[in-house]
Amino acid sequence: MQLAPPDPSILARRDRIIADLQRLLPGAIVHEPAGLATYDSDALSAYRQRPLACALPANKDEVSTLLAYAAEQNLPVVPRGAGTSLSGGALPRPDGIVIGLARMNRILEIDLENRCAVVEPGVTNLAVTRAVEGDGFYYAPDPSSQVACTIGGNVAENSGGLHCLKYGITTNNLLGVELALPGGERVRLGGKALALGGLDLLGIVTGSEGLLGIAVEATLRLRPRPPVTRTLLVAFDTVAAAGRCVADIIGAGIIPAAMEFMDRRAADAVESYCAPGYPQHAEAILIIELDGVEGEVRDGVARVEHIAGTCGASLVRLAANEAERARIWAGRKAAFAATGKIAPDMLCMDGTIPRRALSDMLAAIAAMSARYGLAFCNVFHAGDGNLHPLILFDAMREGELARAEAFGAEILTLCVKMGGVLSGEHGIGVEKRDLMGAMFDEEDLAQQQRLKCAIDPKRLLNPDKVFPTLSACVEQGHMHVSGGRLPFANLPRF
Amino acid sequence: MSVAGGCLLPICRGSDMAVLRPSSEHELAEMVRAAAADRHTLEIIGAGTKRALGRPVRADACLDLSALRGIISYDAEELVLCAASGTPLEEIAAELAAHRQCLGFDPADWGPLFGVPARGGTIGGALAADVSGSRRLLHGAAREHLLGIRAVNGWGKAYKAGGKVVKNVTGFDISKLMCGSLGILGPLSEVTLRLLPKPEHSACLVVRGLEPEQGLHLLGRIWREPLEASALVYLPNAVLEHFDLGGSGEAGLALLRVEGSTEALNDKRMRLRALLESLRVEELAHGDQLLTAAANGSVFASAALDVWRMTVPPSTSAEVAAALVGTLWYADWAGGLFWIATSRDTLSAAAGLERICARAQGQLQLLRADEGQRRGFPARPSGGQGVIQLMRTVKSAFDPLALFNPGRMYEGL
Repeated sequence: MQLAPPDPSILARRDRIIADLQRLLPGAIVHEPAGLATYDSDALSAYRQRPLACALPANKDEVSTLLAYAAEQNLPVVPRGAGTSLSGGALPRPDGIVIGLARMNRILEIDLENRCAVVEPGVTNLAVTRAVEGDGFYYAPDPSSQVACTIGGNVAENSGGLHCLKYGITTNNLLGVELALPGGERVRLGGKALALGGLDLLGIVTGSEGLLGIAVEATLRLRPRPPVTRTLLVAFDTVAAAGRCVADIIGAGIIPAAMEFMDRRAADAVESYCAPGYPQHAEAILIIELDGVEGEVRDGVARVEHIAGTCGASLVRLAANEAERARIWAGRKAAFAATGKIAPDMLCMDGTIPRRALSDMLAAIAAMSARYGLAFCNVFHAGDGNLHPLILFDAMREGELARAEAFGAEILTLCVKMGGVLSGEHGIGVEKRDLMGAMFDEEDLAQQQRLKCAIDPKRLLNPDKVFPTLSACVEQGHMHVSGGRLPFANLPRF
Repeated sequence: MSVAGGCLLPICRGSDMAVLRPSSEHELAEMVRAAAADRHTLEIIGAGTKRALGRPVRADACLDLSALRGIISYDAEELVLCAASGTPLEEIAAELAAHRQCLGFDPADWGPLFGVPARGGTIGGALAADVSGSRRLLHGAAREHLLGIRAVNGWGKAYKAGGKVVKNVTGFDISKLMCGSLGILGPLSEVTLRLLPKPEHSACLVVRGLEPEQGLHLLGRIWREPLEASALVYLPNAVLEHFDLGGSGEAGLALLRVEGSTEALNDKRMRLRALLESLRVEELAHGDQLLTAAANGSVFASAALDVWRMTVPPSTSAEVAAALVGTLWYADWAGGLFWIATSRDTLSAAAGLERICARAQGQLQLLRADEGQRRGFPARPSGGQGVIQLMRTVKSAFDPLALFNPGRMYEGL
């Protein structure tokens, strides 16, 4: 992948720019190499670049000030929340500044009457739920990095999570934002009322990966916590049977809160990593969670158990208590980290396919694995067809990284061929940018870029992201894990 | 391709506008290119059932999408349907019903409100006008259910956006932008929607004898409970005669709908009754029809009244209701949506309603009025000039020559 070369005229003005920034936001500019190192990359740590400087605004006016200055100086701007992007959404530019929103971390208002919370962008995802759970409410989107990732980042990436099958992703749980546009002007989009009127600007801004503006405030929908949650562990002797079970559950009109799949390699890796008590020798494992009122869940569990039985499940186990439930989930959440025990390096893919293509896709991945001579394991959100194949390799061995990347690109390209998409939840960023042509033709991309150009004519906001600037030089999407160490190793990954 | 000299369809009676009726996306793109070359503006219609909604369009020609018709693919197992934009909603609903599925945004039918027969609308029109019904409260608006589109922009180029799977963050979410866009970003040729399983059973409960404040307060309370109510409607006494509800009594009533399997329903009923304590609750057999009537605004269809919709934060609903004393209204979406009918001069009514709406930080939409009045009503979004300017900017990225539905949304937009 090639990034646009830095603008030498900006690099030449570096000292003056830093002095200007210090004057504009005294005490809030990081420019020393040691301090800047933190901002070199996000969770896609295979890509690193040192930014010119990083500014840490404390309020929305300071964000506007920075954007106005950047526009005046033609300075690229990369917005950053907690830096947990898996697609390089916060990768800096050497000739640009990072605007880090982490200091804007206040919950401004909790309005249970309207089932919403108004927060600054640096508030972490989990902090929202923590603030309202005492009253029986929660914020539904739950990306795996939710302890660390920020609401601002969630808005930019349209983050999903384990429970989006039933409750939707960020865009379905966001009522409004105050958006700082390139140049610094701010607009309020949406609010506490259900309908907005006019064009759905909130909809287009959400998931725009920081290319159209910076959210400086967000109004989030809160949900009442369902009174009952039950979790089932189901094992199968064949991957195809598990795939059929997923399809039959959805086909029967049941929408579980979550439905997760692990293949044998993943389950074995997890078992030896943290012993969650998964059955041995099962080719596929499903974790199915149902929530709602008591009767609804009781009924749902019975139906899922029945369907699993008709699909030939070798084990159907309903977690008897909260501790057992937590143990089942602990295994799933440790899956990414567990691969570190069986291979020194790992690439994580993120495509979506129609649910029915699951078996075919898994067979195809197995065939590719043989061809590339690399092992893999599969964990994914089966309910919505969002795959996270993990490609295992050893970067110290000559040519393995390149082979792993080619393997990954072939999986994503096949996702598109099967009627799916390149990214289900991690975003395009720099990671999958050069694969966009596999899904969109020239006109499709041109229309998206027209929108970008109309709102950000100088293309200063998060350059290099989402759109291939050079013609399809195929680079691959991946999350690089070096020496078994994940970026943000302490975060659970789903 | 058919280009009639004058409009032959009942929807454009009395107009001598040229009608373009493409039968494929390719033809559609060609027609737009020709219009762009001649700087001819286009009024986009599906079946034309909501043509009289909101601000009228003055255009050089009518772009009639009703020949772009038919379900392109329906994958019941995936809960995904792809259809040409001019496909009648009825056709889609019938096909889905056969598989016990439905459109998640519960589209309302506003046809009769505008004097056209019921059940005539197209899927494209339902999305463009975002006619989300009572279940919007639970399942979200049209935007939540449109996965992907094919469309033609103001350069006459066909493009696609989004995808055909339920979970997708690849590229800008242009599909969202199309919902409620009133066609100002150009014609859709194809839409892909996510579907929902039809609820197995539903129960509609009525609580009578509630004054507005009491009734709206109750809706809010139930909305904050984990009951997943799929409709929370309050009908004040003054509109009861328009609904088939029998002995209405003195005060208004609340309609509550919960859905699910038999067991789920039993539990939800029990919880509701516990919540409603001493209030008198009865179950209605024809609840769905009443809720449909509420979502369609059909109560106001026959009278010579102007019809408005005001969306507000639900917590302000009692205050809004108090300000609406003397006006015909009822509330849907747990008090987040007011249907309002006025008989006074439109623009003076507008001034009053806008004041109420502004205080509640809501949004006011004029649905039905005389054409001249609708033209004069200064519709605007909340958020002020900055927001309008951003909408103009976005519009220019799709339709730089302002060919599509000029002025349909706001003055100059």
